[in-house]
Amino acid sequence: MKIGVGVSTQKNVASAAREIWDQAKSKIGKETIDLAILFTSVDLSTNSLLKVIKNNLGGSPLAGCSSQAIITNHGILRHAAALVLINCQGIDISAASIENIKARTALTAGEELGNKLLQGFRGSHRELGMFFCDGLIEEGSQLILGLQERLGRSFPIAGASASDNLNYYKTYLYFNREVISDAAVGILWGGKLKFGLGIRHGWKPLGKHRTVTKSYSNVIEKIDGKPAVSIYQDYFAKDTAELRKDLKYISTLYPIGIYLEGETEYLLRNILSIGDNGSLICQGDISVGSQIRLMIGTKESCLAAARQAVLDAKKGLAISRLGLEKKGSAADIVFVFDSASRYSLLKRNADQELRTIKEALQEEVPIVGFYTYGEQAPLKSINYHGQAHFHNQTVSILALGG
Amino acid sequence: MDSYNLFNILGLASIFTIIALAIVVAAKIEKTNQLQASVDKLKKSLEEMDEQAKLIVRTDIELNKIQEELDKKISSLYALQRLSRAVSTTLEETQIFMSVQRTNLEDIGFEKAAAFLWSNKEQRFRLCLNIGYEQEELNLIVSNLKSYTEYCLKLIKQAKAISSISLQDMTIKARINELFKVSYFVLSPILSKEGDNGFLFVGTDSTDTVLTEGDEELVTILANEIGQALENARLFDKTWLAQQELEKKVEERTKELSEALEQIKEVSKRKTDFISAVSHELRTPLTSIKGYASILLSEKLGQIPDAVKQRLDKINRHSDELTHLVNDLLDISRIESGKIIMKQEAQDLKEIIEVTTDLMSVQLKAKDIKLDVVLAQDAPRIEADRNQIERVFINLLGNAAKFTPEKGTITITTASTDGFVKIDVSDTGIGIPKEAQEAIFDEFYRVDNEINQQVKGTGLGLSLVKHIVEAHKGKIWVKSKPGEGTTFSFTFPKA
Repeated sequence: MKIGVGVSTQKNVASAAREIWDQAKSKIGKETIDLAILFTSVDLSTNSLLKVIKNNLGGSPLAGCSSQAIITNHGILRHAAALVLINCQGIDISAASIENIKARTALTAGEELGNKLLQGFRGSHRELGMFFCDGLIEEGSQLILGLQERLGRSFPIAGASASDNLNYYKTYLYFNREVISDAAVGILWGGKLKFGLGIRHGWKPLGKHRTVTKSYSNVIEKIDGKPAVSIYQDYFAKDTAELRKDLKYISTLYPIGIYLEGETEYLLRNILSIGDNGSLICQGDISVGSQIRLMIGTKESCLAAARQAVLDAKKGLAISRLGLEKKGSAADIVFVFDSASRYSLLKRNADQELRTIKEALQEEVPIVGFYTYGEQAPLKSINYHGQAHFHNQTVSILALGG
Repeated sequence: MDSYNLFNILGLASIFTIIALAIVVAAKIEKTNQLQASVDKLKKSLEEMDEQAKLIVRTDIELNKIQEELDKKISSLYALQRLSRAVSTTLEETQIFMSVQRTNLEDIGFEKAAAFLWSNKEQRFRLCLNIGYEQEELNLIVSNLKSYTEYCLKLIKQAKAISSISLQDMTIKARINELFKVSYFVLSPILSKEGDNGFLFVGTDSTDTVLTEGDEELVTILANEIGQALENARLFDKTWLAQQELEKKVEERTKELSEALEQIKEVSKRKTDFISAVSHELRTPLTSIKGYASILLSEKLGQIPDAVKQRLDKINRHSDELTHLVNDLLDISRIESGKIIMKQEAQDLKEIIEVTTDLMSVQLKAKDIKLDVVLAQDAPRIEADRNQIERVFINLLGNAAKFTPEKGTITITTASTDGFVKIDVSDTGIGIPKEAQEAIFDEFYRVDNEINQQVKGTGLGLSLVKHIVEAHKGKIWVKSKPGEGTTFSFTFPKA
């Protein structure tokens, strides 16, 4: 796999488009470009930017999304565009998009996206599904479930939800020439592709276990038979009105953690809002009977988690290369899908997290990523048969290599 | 019997069994109670731990808030420092606003900014800074701002900052949010002692932001910095314009003076040429007049009566005076036009003084004037044209003798200075009035005094002396006090 990355912080869309294309193209040289992946800040989410790139790209697919900030080797850039051009060299790919998700069920939309990806895939052996979806879709878990219905229940899927400037107003997906919302974009990888995935958050459980006694989709209605909001009322000694005011802050620092047997870390759920009946509307599904605890994190534990996620990804890549000619954990490119909540929490230390990731990688490798409204990745424990889950507040490291 | 015994045995066994069971049950109950107590204890511990967890969480959130506020303040102060540095090192109005960069603004927690200055002339707010707004949005803001002109001018007049947290009027707050499309804002006046005042608006549409009083203070400081920078820039502009004006005037005056100088040079050249031409033309007839007068006086052409002789003597004497005048004029014009090349050679000053004072001795004796010569012991040789320096001495000594009364004193003093020898010729004569001192070196100038009225003179002597001294790169000047005497000082370069 040969990679060319271009990054621009120019405000002018046309100039930014030219700059990222020129930079990425100069690095990839005369090789054929088989795929382009684009991440931009919201201010650069325009059709004209895509048009410039697609005009140069020709028939090869372009996929990507918007974000609060872009992660690159050069740092975390709040107003930027990053373009990755890929020459596959024996790696098979297929890219597809699905729109108008709200008009159907998320499960159906996921299944349709799966079908499209399979239809476009010409290879014989599938390795990984990469997936970006609108960050404001509430049933993200169902979308993944639908996708896995088609690609395989144990088929590894790694992805992230697009974000905006923490306004939760509108997020954007990119597919070929189109900037779309209420949509999802997928890339199916196969052939000689090898990858390693690490996903961690660093939050620790606090207090006693509680049980979800009534829930549906991403809404928890009752915990231990009481209105779900009571967990936060008890812990923070605040009434619902006060909680609503500080919810974004409290939910980022102290999310709900779902206990998963065999997993090192709890599965986190951010609280998006509090319902009138005292229910908690989460960013991701939560099922009845789930054992939950309040979670607490620190900047140090976040940074330690980022380091561990890189080590997990490197280890995964090395394992996937066992018995092959090309060995080791050196990746051709590393994608970082980092939770927008972590950016909000770490603030000035966000750069430190990037430094930690670079240090843990130990080698010069192109790093491209963005801040997400949710991360998708399989759980590690064998109990879950590789099924992808919707994560919150994690940093997900995806190392790709030939 | 057997059955009785058996019954008894069974009865006893049953009793023992019952007792044993009762003991076991009692033990079990005891155990259960103990376990229950442990469970209760554990439950209690868990509840206590949960209560502790609540305390931890409540403390943690407070600490986090404090830490966050501290981080925000530190980060904002750094950003403010960067902004202030950029703003204060600029002396151009547009550049001042351009130095407020988006990244620095984001570091203090805002992503939108606009600055307006009130133009008294145009009676409207002039947009000077835009960060984060599209042109269409901006046009709308500028257009709608007209409705708030009075309100904004009042804030500027009162030098009062407002923000989402300090503004009590909810209606105005909502209108500002709507006008600038933000969730939180700070608006602070930009005040400058020079020129237009205005206001700086910063805002964010992120609902994630927690605005504090510190933010309001920070933006106020920034607005003050901008105001100060504008004041400096405007003062600089004023000074710059004044300087430009001055330079222009100096240039004009220099040009005028250069032109005048050129004209003077031209006139002077014409005068020199004229004098030179006239002098030449005069010399030939003068020579003839003098020649013929001499022939007649020699009586080679026959005897002449005494009365005629006397007239011829007068013709001869006046011809000499006229020749002398013409020669002086010719010398001056030649020196001016550079036609006379000074044959500069090392000269012994003592010898020159001796020769020239000797020439003057008859004149001095006639008035019993004492001559003192004070030569510096290490009097160096001077670089001069022998004939010309002698003329300088003869002229100055002649003047001194002329204006010094009987029994007076003339003193010649020499002194060595840097690269030059200074010679003073002092007398105890009638002196020169102050108002005449500057003009005495001019051609044909004669001081109006009794002696000059009685004794004839051309008024060219000192002018010639000055030309000779200056042609040697020396200087000449005079100090005099009427009734006390006069000192002429001049310099010649050392050999």
